Order: sequence, then structure tokens, then C-alpha cells
Amino acid sequence: MDIDDTTLNAWFDGELAGEQAAAVEAHLRENPDLGARVRLWRADRDALRAQVDTVLLEAVPDRLTQTVWQAPARRRVGFLAAGFALFVLGGATGAALLAGLEALRPTVQAEGGEWLQRAAVAHAVYVPEKRHPVEVSIEQNQDGHLARWLTKRLDVPVKLFDLQPQGFDLVGGRLLPDARGPSAQLMYQNEAGQRVTVYLRKPDTGPADPASAAFRYERQGELGLFYWVEGQGAAATGYALVGTLPREQLLALAEAIYRQGGGGAAAAK
Amino acid sequence: MPRYPPTVHAPVAFRQQLVGVIPRLRRYARSLVSDPGAADDLVQVALERALTHWHQFDQRRDILVWMVSIAHNAHVDERRRSARMSLVEPDDPDAPPHDHLDRRGGVPGADVGLRIDLVAALQRLPVEQREALLLVGVEQFSYAECAEALAIPIGTVMSRVSRGRAALRELLDGRVPATDSTSGAPALRRVI
Repeated sequence: MDIDDTTLNAWFDGELAGEQAAAVEAHLRENPDLGARVRLWRADRDALRAQVDTVLLEAVPDRLTQTVWQAPARRRVGFLAAGFALFVLGGATGAALLAGLEALRPTVQAEGGEWLQRAAVAHAVYVPEKRHPVEVSIEQNQDGHLARWLTKRLDVPVKLFDLQPQGFDLVGGRLLPDARGPSAQLMYQNEAGQRVTVYLRKPDTGPADPASAAFRYERQGELGLFYWVEGQGAAATGYALVGTLPREQLLALAEAIYRQGGGGAAAAK
Repeated sequence: MPRYPPTVHAPVAFRQQLVGVIPRLRRYARSLVSDPGAADDLVQVALERALTHWHQFDQRRDILVWMVSIAHNAHVDERRRSARMSLVEPDDPDAPPHDHLDRRGGVPGADVGLRIDLVAALQRLPVEQREALLLVGVEQFSYAECAEALAIPIGTVMSRVSRGRAALRELLDGRVPATDSTSGAPALRRVI
């Protein structure tokens, strides 16, 4: 068989696998002149890498680092209100909880929509609860009551996501009071007792714009948050996945939720 | 287009990602542009654009691929501006090759002459081939990532890599490659 230049290059760059790669390798064995060509390519590539890699060892010029950090810092709106709501909730978990929220403070942001901030606060409030982490537990959910109830109250479709492939079982969910309308929290727990929460509500930023379909990530102290908006217009739903897991693990969960979310068609990559 | 109010600024986590990617972005810009000052200017423009458009970055993507796509667009803009001003033609194959990379670097004991020729030869390639060759060969992008960063079809990446590699070899062998700077299909889309 004949192997053209493009195919040989693709093989060289590791783009071919299986039978295609085997065909090129067989061809190379039969044509030593081609093998010599490939060895020259490899020498060129290695020499080029060796030379340009010296840039990696240089100190990064200050002006570049400054460019990244100089742009104004984020606002810290709405945090006092959240703190106040916490006291009203009864301070059941007390000082530890407040300490956790204190750690959130410098970086809690307003731009993800205030709902992101509420997702973080709701996570911090309910995850430490031993006796009443959820309002409706999965045991009480015989006939799909939980999803139906939350869907009705939120006016957005609420699904109970299956995160068992990722090792997390649904504990249950609750309805959360909110100045701008209700939101819901689903809580999941793994065998190690680690909990993550999914916070969902109508986004308060109006109709979703295409850019908001992107996953965004925030780390606030120990908490990581992935958040995104699915669907358009009146059907838009804002999601935030909150937990103290490493980013990669949290992303795997967020993607599992996203795949099961139903509104995924509007959230093109 | 995004509707974020102008008061909304990039989160700290995003800025940390940007800082982390600067060294590799500088390496790419330096081998693309070759003049160190101009290369860092390009990196700076790319960082500024990324900070303005941070909300368009999807965390499922590789930030280097995204930053290279921004740098690529900034470089295209820069070359258009230069061409309009008729000051220089950066990709004139007859222009003297400029090699500002550190000639002392690289593998100890490797042939210094070969390395100098290599970078000089690279600068003589059409910019489209140079970009593809650098992304695939140095940054180790897959063809798909390269296509994404340059906003071109994968087939175009394949032909640019193939032609670029062949032309580089011919230059190093002391031959003059057939001048073929066709840039392939038009850009699919432009993000920033």
C-alpha cells in the first residue's frame, strides 16, 4: 500500500492508532529511505524543542505578571446580607460554620450572579448538619415526590441526578427561601462521608447568553464551585455544584450532571 | 455577546491559571515572532484580551489552547496593521533571517550550527506553516487542538504540518523550498 506524506506526518505526530499506525510502521520497515526521513524529522523536532525550551527557564517579565494582577479586584457585594441570613437561620452549627464563611469572604464574588454566592452559603450551612441535612430524604421519595415538588416550586425542571458512577449517592433535597424566588439544593454523599451539593434556580441575570453556557470554576478557600446555565430564556436554569473535592473530581461530577441535565442542547460547547 | 457589566472582573482562580500559562505562551510567541520584545508584547496583548473576555473561557477546555487562539488572533491583527503601514513585511522570504533566540541554550554537546540554522530556517517558513509546526512539534498539541487554536479545519492542519516539515528540511539541506504560502481554508470562527 502507498503511504502519502500527510499520513506519514500524522503517524509521526502520534495521530494514528491501531491498524492505521501498524500500516505506516509496516511501510516504514519496507522503505528504509522513508525511515531515514523520519529520523531527520525527529532530530529537527528535538533540536527545535531544546532550543525554544530555554525560554521556559527565563524569569517572566514583571510587566506580564502585573498585567494579570493589575486589573481591578472584584466587588464584595451582598456578603453582609448573607451573613445576616445565617444568624436568622439559628446558628445551629455555630462558630465552625462562621469560621468557614469567614474564609469565603475575601473571594466570594458577585459576578456569577448572586445565586452563586447563595449556593456557597447554602452549602456551608447544610453540609455539616448531621440530623437534618435535607428536608426531604431519598427514603421519603418513593413516588418521585421530591423532584415533582421542587419542579413545581422552582418553576424549572428539577431532576435527581444519578452520580453513583462517580461514587456519590443522593441524600435528598430541600427548598431554599430566597429574596428573588425559591431555589433548591440536592445533597450527595460518598462512602467516605464527603458531601457535595447541587444548587439550582432560575438565573437572576435574565435570559442566558451563549457565553453563560460555559462551565465556570471558582475556588473559595476550601470550597470549589462549578457553575453554568442551561437552556434559554424562560427555561434557563442555573446550576452550581459545590464541594471541597479536588477540581478534577468536581469537574467529573459537574459533567455527569450536565449530561443528565436535559437542557444540554442549548449549552453548546 | 456577553452581558456582564463592565464592573465584573476576572476571578482570582482564573488569573492564577493565566499566570501559570505565561511561560509556555512566551515560548510559543518567541518562536513565532522571534524578536523577544515583540514576542512579549504579543503575550501581553493576549493576556489583556483574556482578562476582558475571561467569562468566555470554558473550564473544560485547556487554557493554553485558548490562550494560543487569542495570541494567534492578536498576531494576525498585528501583521495586518504592519502591512497597512507598509513598514515591514514580516514574512518576506527574502528578508534576512533574524534569530533572537538564545543560541547558547539547548542540549549541551548538540551541534550549535544545526540549531542556529534550524531557528533561522523556521523563520523563513510561511507563518501559517510555522504556527502549525510549532504547536504540534513544540507545544505537543494534537491536530484537533491545533485546529481549535488556529480556527482552521483539521485537514488544513495536516497539510500545513506536512508542507512545513518538508520545507524546513529542504531549507536545512540547503535547498529553497517551493514558495507555497497558501493558508488553506478561511478561518471558521474567531473567538476574540
